[in-house]
Amino acid sequence: MASVGLRKLEKSYGAFRVVKAIDLEIIDGEFVVLVGPSGCGKSTTLRMIAGLESISGGEIRIGDRIVNDLPPRERDIAMVFQDYALYPHKTVRENMGFSLKVRGVNAGEADAKIRGAAEMLGITHLLDRRPGQLSGGQRQRVAMGRAIVRRPQVFLFDEPLSNLDAKLRGQVRTEIKRLHQTIGTTIVYVTHDQVEAMTLADRIVILRGGDIEQIGTPDEVYNNPANVFVGSFVGSPSMNFAKARAAHGYLDFADGNRLPLAALTGTGISAADGREFIVGIRPEHFTSGTSDIGLNCEVQVVEPLGSDTLVHFSVAGATLTARLPPELRPRPGEAFKLGLDPAKIHLFDAETERALH
Amino acid sequence: MTSTSKNAAGRVDARRARLSRWLDPDETTLAVLLLAPAAILLSVMIVYPVGRLIYTSFLDLSLTSGLPARFAGLANFQQMLDDPVFWQATWNTILITLITVPGALLVGLGLALLANLPFQMRWPVRLSLLIPWALPLAFAGLIFAWFFHSEYGVVNDVLNRIGLPGVIWFNSPRLAFAAICLAIIWKASSFMAMIILAGLQTIPRSLYEAADVDGAGRVRQFFEITLPLLKPTIVVALIFRTITALQTFDIPYMMTGGGPGTATATLAMYIHQNTVSFLDLGYGSALAVVMFGLSMCVTALYLRMIRGSESAS
Repeated sequence: MASVGLRKLEKSYGAFRVVKAIDLEIIDGEFVVLVGPSGCGKSTTLRMIAGLESISGGEIRIGDRIVNDLPPRERDIAMVFQDYALYPHKTVRENMGFSLKVRGVNAGEADAKIRGAAEMLGITHLLDRRPGQLSGGQRQRVAMGRAIVRRPQVFLFDEPLSNLDAKLRGQVRTEIKRLHQTIGTTIVYVTHDQVEAMTLADRIVILRGGDIEQIGTPDEVYNNPANVFVGSFVGSPSMNFAKARAAHGYLDFADGNRLPLAALTGTGISAADGREFIVGIRPEHFTSGTSDIGLNCEVQVVEPLGSDTLVHFSVAGATLTARLPPELRPRPGEAFKLGLDPAKIHLFDAETERALH
Repeated sequence: MTSTSKNAAGRVDARRARLSRWLDPDETTLAVLLLAPAAILLSVMIVYPVGRLIYTSFLDLSLTSGLPARFAGLANFQQMLDDPVFWQATWNTILITLITVPGALLVGLGLALLANLPFQMRWPVRLSLLIPWALPLAFAGLIFAWFFHSEYGVVNDVLNRIGLPGVIWFNSPRLAFAAICLAIIWKASSFMAMIILAGLQTIPRSLYEAADVDGAGRVRQFFEITLPLLKPTIVVALIFRTITALQTFDIPYMMTGGGPGTATATLAMYIHQNTVSFLDLGYGSALAVVMFGLSMCVTALYLRMIRGSESAS
């Protein structure tokens, strides 16, 4: 196991900067998830840590070694690829044992390690099959087996669940978490799926356009998003946003709804009259209307999910979503009051979109 | 209803049934109808000529004798066994195949690996790979005939410039044979390279990245990933190339005309000589049947190899 450090790490293709001087310290044994939309630089960052992509600037440290110029094989890492990258002509056993064979591990020791990893992942019965004879989930497990058999210092996962169906994704996600709990090796995991990030990570790194937007535990990024982007990216359904202006001690929405500023800005946010805010409310933080503080709205669409009811409505020209208890089924067109806990309302500066805490 | 009107109604029903059978045929009829065009085309273009060739190989049919064709049984094949030129030409053909097929494969593999490297402006390199393949065989033969010309050839010029005496390439059976093999390898390697390059591009980059992470160097990656995954492509390329090599004609014809003597004559050249120059259609056909048999044997061997590798994977 080892820590991983990125210092002013940069990647450019010509004039186009894909990763913009990012800093990140991953502690020994930590499970860190890099998450962000397509093109945010998360996979490029992972590939630079792996040594599959050269760096344009900065420094990568694994343990106490600077590995900037080391080839992948000398970094003591293992990687699980998005398409699994299993050797199609080799059996599962040969796939898992390839790195050991290359490193000259004797056959008996290699076999014991392969068996150990296979037992841990429940794939012992697949050892003599070829990847073409396996299902997607089994291939995924073999790819993980190939990674863990060598017990490297760091595991790198590049969107390993994106080729699986939703049900299998949930199962394998749990297995990855269990694997980390068992072997405790440092993991850097890339995904575009915020659910994966939230469920797996010790810490989440949210990237956008090659910059880090926020680093924090799942609770931190959920409860205290650094900006509108993080707020919108984390959580499902995503956070609702509507613009409002401070006036006479209230936040006024364009449609006449208003929220008392004193309840929202207890931490001392400057709220001079006329200042514009973006109000962020998570769908699950709406209540069904007994609170004094809330929004009057007209229901547009109702989506019963069984466990919850999603209610879509409009406030100040923005379409918002509320997650309400399943027994509540307002009808489209019905006037409805949604209550709010002021402590769970997020305020963002309308210009910078940064959170105001 | 009268019996006449009953008959008329029956005829109409029968006509309707026939029409509906045509419009909506059963599965067997439909299969026959769909396969018929291809079967007819294959019969006309391949089965009949091959059948005719085999039939002619059993005839004593020489257009120079002025005699009508006569069934000769296995006489033409018997004649072959006693014909030293046949043995020489067959041996030359096999030798050319054994030298030029692996030669073209190795050179083609090297060229394909080079063309597959991640450098900018790959298309001129790939285009230049196509040029030898696109040249007519006879033209390639002429180019190499000039290369190895004893007085005006490039090869002797280079030898002279580095202080070595020139060689009369086409006077020596071995040197003439070597020159022909070189020309064939040059011509055929671009075809091999194109096929192998296509095969290389089907190997996902992530496999090499996984091998990088697993600790395998470039040489190991070549033997553990590239070569095994290229095997089906290589087998297909070998089938095409071997069959073409067994039919070698144009290049030796243009370079040496089979000489000196019959030292560089191939089976195809000997068939041409007997059939076109000597107008001995019976013997020429028997020779062609032997060549056809050789090609079939090689194809069967390769197909067996493909099936073997498919079942293994």
